[in-house]
Amino acid sequence: MEALTYLFSSWIQPDLLFLTALGAFAGIYIGAIPGLSVTMAVSILISFTFSWEVNPALALMNGIFMGGVYGGSRTAILLNIPGAPAAIATSLDGYPMAKKGEAGQAIGLSTVMSFIGGLVGIVVLALAAPAISEFAIKFQPRDYMLIAVMGILLVGALSGESLAKGVFAGAFGILLGTVGLDPMTAEQRFTFGSVSLMNGISSIALMIGMFGVSEALLQLHHLNAQAVKQKIDRIVPLWGDIKRHLSLTLQSSGIGVIIGALPGTGGDIAALMAYDHAKRITKNPDVPFGEGAKEGLIAPESANNAAVGGAYIPMLTLGIPGDAVTAVIIGALFIHGLNPGPLLLLEKPDMFWFTVGNLVLADIFMLIFGLTGIRIFTKIIECPKAVLFPLILLLSVVGAYSINNSVADVWWMLGFGVFGYFMKLYGYQVAPVILGIILSRLMDDNWRRAIISERESLPDFVLGILTSPLSATLLGIIVFVLFTQTRWWKRRFGAAPTSLDAVKSN
Amino acid sequence: MQEQPTARRPGELVFTLILLVGSLFLLWQAYGISGFAGLSSAGAFPMAMSAIMAVSLVVILATVLRRPAPAAVLERLRKDILPATVVVFCGLILVYSLALDWLGFIPSSFLFLLASITFLQGGRFKRALGLSLLSIICVYVVFRLVFQVVLPEGLIPERAIIAWIQSFFAAGN
Amino acid sequence: MLKTLVGAFALSMAASFAMANDFPKQDLQGVIQWGAGGSTDLVMRSVAPHVEKELGRSIVMTNKTGGVGVIATQFVSTQPADGYTLLMSAENPQLYKVMGLSNLDYSNFYPVNVLARGVPIIVANKDAPFNTFKELVDYVQKNPGKVRMGSTGPGGLPSVVGAMLSSKLDFKVTAVPFDGDGPALTAMQGGAVEFMPAVLGAAVEHVKAGRIKVLAIFDKQASPVLPDARPITADYPQFESLLPWGPFFGVFVKSETPDDVKAKLVAAFKKGANNEAFQKLLSDRGYVSMNMSGDEANSFLKKWQSTTSWIVYDAGMGKKSPEEFGIPKP
Repeated sequence: MEALTYLFSSWIQPDLLFLTALGAFAGIYIGAIPGLSVTMAVSILISFTFSWEVNPALALMNGIFMGGVYGGSRTAILLNIPGAPAAIATSLDGYPMAKKGEAGQAIGLSTVMSFIGGLVGIVVLALAAPAISEFAIKFQPRDYMLIAVMGILLVGALSGESLAKGVFAGAFGILLGTVGLDPMTAEQRFTFGSVSLMNGISSIALMIGMFGVSEALLQLHHLNAQAVKQKIDRIVPLWGDIKRHLSLTLQSSGIGVIIGALPGTGGDIAALMAYDHAKRITKNPDVPFGEGAKEGLIAPESANNAAVGGAYIPMLTLGIPGDAVTAVIIGALFIHGLNPGPLLLLEKPDMFWFTVGNLVLADIFMLIFGLTGIRIFTKIIECPKAVLFPLILLLSVVGAYSINNSVADVWWMLGFGVFGYFMKLYGYQVAPVILGIILSRLMDDNWRRAIISERESLPDFVLGILTSPLSATLLGIIVFVLFTQTRWWKRRFGAAPTSLDAVKSN
Repeated sequence: MQEQPTARRPGELVFTLILLVGSLFLLWQAYGISGFAGLSSAGAFPMAMSAIMAVSLVVILATVLRRPAPAAVLERLRKDILPATVVVFCGLILVYSLALDWLGFIPSSFLFLLASITFLQGGRFKRALGLSLLSIICVYVVFRLVFQVVLPEGLIPERAIIAWIQSFFAAGN
Repeated sequence: MLKTLVGAFALSMAASFAMANDFPKQDLQGVIQWGAGGSTDLVMRSVAPHVEKELGRSIVMTNKTGGVGVIATQFVSTQPADGYTLLMSAENPQLYKVMGLSNLDYSNFYPVNVLARGVPIIVANKDAPFNTFKELVDYVQKNPGKVRMGSTGPGGLPSVVGAMLSSKLDFKVTAVPFDGDGPALTAMQGGAVEFMPAVLGAAVEHVKAGRIKVLAIFDKQASPVLPDARPITADYPQFESLLPWGPFFGVFVKSETPDDVKAKLVAAFKKGANNEAFQKLLSDRGYVSMNMSGDEANSFLKKWQSTTSWIVYDAGMGKKSPEEFGIPKP
């Protein structure tokens, strides 16, 4: 009973209600602007809400977190610049939809899916948090490595015209991710003696350049072509559409919660893995993946918002952050005189129920604000390209700079923008590069941790994987996925889509 | 998207060769990190990756070489790969990124916007001027004032100006 | 009207460049060496509001992370020495020279305030086959190289404490480096490592909840936060000469900053750090408040550098000998 009062306390107190709404609204725009991140916004709020009570401060932060994770999809769909890494997978099918004049529909769909995903995440948080967090901390370095390998399999799906080009791009991305001062040995890798390279190449700068700038340069070829007229009659998706994809939504949300709850992974990896999952289980999409498939939008958007609830799971039960944002929120709780840790749940159960209730509220506000104002947003891409492209460039520069207050990041962003332009022209996809740089540390560090733990013995390492039920399952999934990519499997079980393709191309 | 183009794209061979040389260079660099010291060494992973890059590029190169060379390379290069608009725009970006550090964010961004909008829309200077001013103000308010991102200051003593405005308002009250 | 405006403007600009006594004339910039949510970030963001009250200007905080803090340190050293750019950092720069990362260290800066130091403790997985530090040492000696210790990379707290342990005892373990003590503590609860040295504040809540067990406090006396944990010197007095040792947090300006500016900053930080709420935050997290500046802080920094540099170098983690830089042997 008492839990119920805490659960709804933010719903009935006007000030908390207002702060949650404000947070969700601000979060959407923070998420949408590349370079402004939720982590940054929340850490500024620490100084700002210093003298407040803890609940109002949390309400604001929860709102920003929820809205921010969703907001990244806006710019991903409209400009092909993911506002945050969690929106990378969204741009793969969202931007092609916008190019066809379906930006409004894409935003509407991603909003509703983010809402559902967010809700699933919160429900799991409320019902199963202790069990899931105990499960999540059981993940060993070798398991994280296997998860990274699962993620990298997505290269196969993102390769475009030739697998070799996809493999090159993926390996290049992973290599870029290793640049800088190696955190494990303090050895310098590919720094060429430069201090600014010690920090590595920012994955966000790279993302802005390769997705956004290269696309803008490519579009300059058709500078005078009329902008595509956006259809804005159907923004809220049809109920039938939602129902038809409900199974995929729930599966993607499930992936999102688990990946979000793992202390070493967050919404970006969750969204990419959900995209991969969608691509594998969807036999006959109405539109092929990569050209504006709705499934390609549904999966990552529900997964990344489900990861929000997931990230709170280890934070509220064990005081272990599930991602970068919850790490900052833990800091905020300290400053407000709480001691986030395994005892928090026992000593202050009200905190837990307050957060759960408040997150639901934030999710609802995200839905409301997400579905309003779409018309104005879609106007952005209808404005003349001569004005739009310089503005995209300006936004990219400021965004790349703000990540780390570094001009070097701006240079990398621009350099890779031009490089991405050439890659696209010569039939290479840029998405595997981004995938690689995001998974690089996860793979490299955990591989080395795992092999150091086994004292450099490869047989012990393999034995470790095979004898642990968790690692063996993960390995089994990888083998299965690889197996389903073989020609034999496709001929045997995948007959339907191939014959359809044949009809289409004729 | 899926079908292979019949002829080589102009410049594709050169691009592939550049990438291959680059990959080999990175492989050599990766070897330099820690050699073959062990499976857990800092250089093991970069070496594996640059080797994969080099091998996949050899495969790509083989496919590229099998296709006939494109006709009228120079003309198509100018039209399909590097049209004048792209080259000039890239030039503007280059100047902008170099000016950012020493000139400061506000003046360099303003000049960049002004020049590139004027260039891309072929004239209409006044409209470009208005748009550039408006967007610089918006970006400055959102990033510098709300999110406290300290943009490169360069020649304009921003902090002094802000302090002066603050004291001006403080005195007014 | 316009003329007076322009005049006043020019005047105030001139004044702010002239390094007048009424420092600060504009907002300060605080450059934090570590990322948002880390312990340095936390300490700095919670002390800043109190200092801002003293200075009457805000401190705009930016996280400039990377290269174990080298990037932020290098950045502040290239800014004008006017006291408007503060380096908010941890102990790491004192090891840059030995680690071959940079030629800068705190001798290039003036310590405005060394706020606090952390106390290292040695904690273990709750199912590990040892309950005290003595048992751990016995166990390690029986199984040399087999016990896995959580670490955070060379120069980090666990690696230094590990090096101190092996300098005085026969102590061979396998160090598995993680991204920071938070992730390492998590991995230890999952059984990826058996034990690790960690800063008290990061581990205390997990110890209280019984999720991990504490083997020893790496200090001369017990801590009020964990009164039951035995100081390491109780069983192994040979560590006395190395202690007290621990990571620390401080605020620095370039050493060429004018003296009156330094004095103003020192006074403001001294008062700000004395604030009750900030002191409570420190003691709750098990940090030892230091609140020292100037010569007192300098001698602390020198001693820290000499002890740690030689330990790190002798353990084979350093790239260059401390001798090269004239760092005396302790």
